[in-house]
Order: sequence, then structure tokens, then C-alpha cells
Amino acid sequence: MGHEEHELVARAQRGERAAFEALVRLHADQLHAVVLRLADDRHEAEEITQETFLRAWRGIDGFKGEARFFTWLYRIGVNEARRSSQRRSGLRAVTSLEQHRIDPRDPAPGPAQAAEHRDVRSALEAAIGALDHDYRAPLVLRDVQGLSTAEAAEIMGLGEAAFKSRLHRARLAVRSAIEPYLSAEDER
Amino acid sequence: MRQMLVHPIRFMRDHRLVASQASAYLDRELDEPARRRVERHVRVCPPCHHLIESLRGTIAGLAGLRAETGVEIADVVIARLRDA
Repeated sequence: MGHEEHELVARAQRGERAAFEALVRLHADQLHAVVLRLADDRHEAEEITQETFLRAWRGIDGFKGEARFFTWLYRIGVNEARRSSQRRSGLRAVTSLEQHRIDPRDPAPGPAQAAEHRDVRSALEAAIGALDHDYRAPLVLRDVQGLSTAEAAEIMGLGEAAFKSRLHRARLAVRSAIEPYLSAEDER
Repeated sequence: MRQMLVHPIRFMRDHRLVASQASAYLDRELDEPARRRVERHVRVCPPCHHLIESLRGTIAGLAGLRAETGVEIADVVIARLRDA
């Protein structure tokens, strides 16, 4: 954490709202980019991002400086996204995501399914969206946002071995879903 | 695949290693002996070569999704904080 950010956190912990607002300006875009990939739509993502900062403001005394501020903040955001995902799951009564959504042995999509995606980007987005939160979050933090394994594991509250295992399974699931596009690109 | 006939136990052991450690290999998180085992095996095993290359393409594709959000979210958050 840089000196300036450290100062802002200390001032926010003394109750200075302006200092916390400066922290919002420093981190909101990046946090929102993560949350957009964890939520189902933009409206839900905005709600999660707002709720994350509200919780952070109310709980900033609980930040002890052992982790970097953004790690602490992202952890709140990822947990908030998980709660939101659980609420959605409760509404939809989905079958076991563990078994059906991320099994790397799932066959690649057929031609009809592939035709629904204009390109590899939309296929990737659909594949990420089909992952359960516990697999989607490691993938988003590590591969989409480019955080280090250590940072992403800390945000998830996981040991590195457990984090890497989830990340690998998530990558295999996405790979399986976009395989036809990878093959098509190889042939060009 | 000739290696599978000459050293079948080693071949299958390395096959399992690649299946479980392909991500760690691509993230450069394997130690040197494990990295060498993966590379040696991938040279002689087409399915593992395909696994590594398709995972590499997947990871590159995911990195390409990193983008601006297109929303001035900080202003929205600050307005909500002031209302709270």
C-alpha cells in the first residue's frame, strides 16, 4: 500500500468521509470490473459494487493493515457477489452446479450451440457465466484481471493449493466450452 | 507415442502429471524437474500437447476480456454513500 493510500485509510478510519471517497475513486473501477464478471447483469453488478463500498465504509475499523487495502476490499466484494449468487440460486432452484456446470469432461458445445456465439469472446463470456461462483471468482481474479496467484488466493480466503486446484478446473471447463473456436483459429 | 511402449509406467505417470499440473506449468509455477517432465512428455504425447496449447489459448483469451467498465461507478458509489 502506497504512502498516500495508507494516509487515506488512516483518515477514513478516523471518520473522514472525504478520505474514504478518495479511496472509492482509487478502486471503484477495478473492483467494478471484477464484479461485472461475477454478476449476472450490469444492474446486479452496480448493486454489489455499491454494497461493497458501504460495507467497507461501515467496517473500515476492521481493516488492520495486515493485507493490502485492495485485497481487503476485493474480499468484501467477492463475498458480496457470492451472497448475491446464492440468492439467485435459491430463486432458480438449479441442479448441482458442481456436477453439471464445471465438469471438465463435459462435451464441447455442438454446432447449434456454437452458432449462438458470434466469436470467441462471446463464447468465453458465456463459459464464464456458466461457472459456479466458487470457480468463476478465481478465474476472473487471476486470468481476467491479472492478479497474482497469491493475491487472488488471499482475496478468496483460500490456501494457494486449493486456489490453484479451483483455477485449473475452471480453466478446463472454459477450455472445453471454447474448444471449437480455438480449433477454428488454429486453422486460419 | 513410442515412449508409451518403451516406458509405459513413466509415460502414464507423466501423463497424469500434465493433466493435473497443466495450469501450474503455464503459470510457471512448477519447479525445474517437474517443468522438464511436462515438456518431455508433451513432446511425445499429442493429447497432452493439445491440452497445453488449448489451455494456453484459453488463458490468452481470458486476459483479452480485461476491459474498461464503461461506467462512472465511483460517482454512483459516492452518491449512495452520502445517502446512507
